[in-house]
Amino acid sequence: MDKTKDQQKKLFQELLMPELGALFRTALRMTRNREDAEDLVQETTTKAFSAIDRFEEGTNFRAWIFKILTNTFINNYYRVRERDKLPSLDEMEEESAFQPAFEGISPEQALLNTLTKEDIQKAIDVIPIDFKSVVVLNLVEGFSYKETAEILDIPIGTVMSRLHRGRKILQKLLWEYSSSKNSTEKGKKEEWTAKKQ
Amino acid sequence: MDCKEAVEKLFLYLDGEILTPQERKDFEEHLRICRKCCDKFDFEKNLLNLIKSNCLDTPLPATLVNKVLTVINSF
Repeated sequence: MDKTKDQQKKLFQELLMPELGALFRTALRMTRNREDAEDLVQETTTKAFSAIDRFEEGTNFRAWIFKILTNTFINNYYRVRERDKLPSLDEMEEESAFQPAFEGISPEQALLNTLTKEDIQKAIDVIPIDFKSVVVLNLVEGFSYKETAEILDIPIGTVMSRLHRGRKILQKLLWEYSSSKNSTEKGKKEEWTAKKQ
Repeated sequence: MDCKEAVEKLFLYLDGEILTPQERKDFEEHLRICRKCCDKFDFEKNLLNLIKSNCLDTPLPATLVNKVLTVINSF
């Protein structure tokens, strides 16, 4: 038996509300702007409810709504010219020459100790969109390779290679942020030591 | 399992993907005997957790909940 509009709204609301936080943070990483992120989530809601008849109850609502979100972002928010603002992919994928040199701890531990929430979010924000979408869906939101492939409409092999490259770009950026902080700290320490002498 | 194979499987293991129970066992066994791979695994796992927890910690604007409810009720 077909559901009434009110029953549909109730069901949709029950399915949507637990995902709203995840939809917003994903929209925020993609748009890099709170206002656009809120608009994107509202637009996703409109499109999803308009298409609710096509959603099969008992199937993966989370993956379904994220697919609508990512499609809406690519179609309505993402501008090709944004690619021009980013460093080239080759540049982003070069091995990092930076190695934080903290005393007494490994460079890896130094990296983990110095990174802040702002560093991590900033790094994800500048990853090119094809890699960022896989990184956010898989690493942050915990979708499987298969679900990520379905959401983005790409083969699983492509998810794996984009994730591999996305991780590499992300780590390079994080090493750079950590290293530049370390250099600043080191400079301050040297300055302080020089003043003391 | 040697180091080369362990490094290839590291992210599949971390992501909870594809490995068969035997592959998982072999991977875990390798980590027990290889300090270098174990350190690499710990670093990647800690970095992943750091990335995840910092990204998940994004508060949902209270106004957005109301805006979304308004969208649903407009139908």
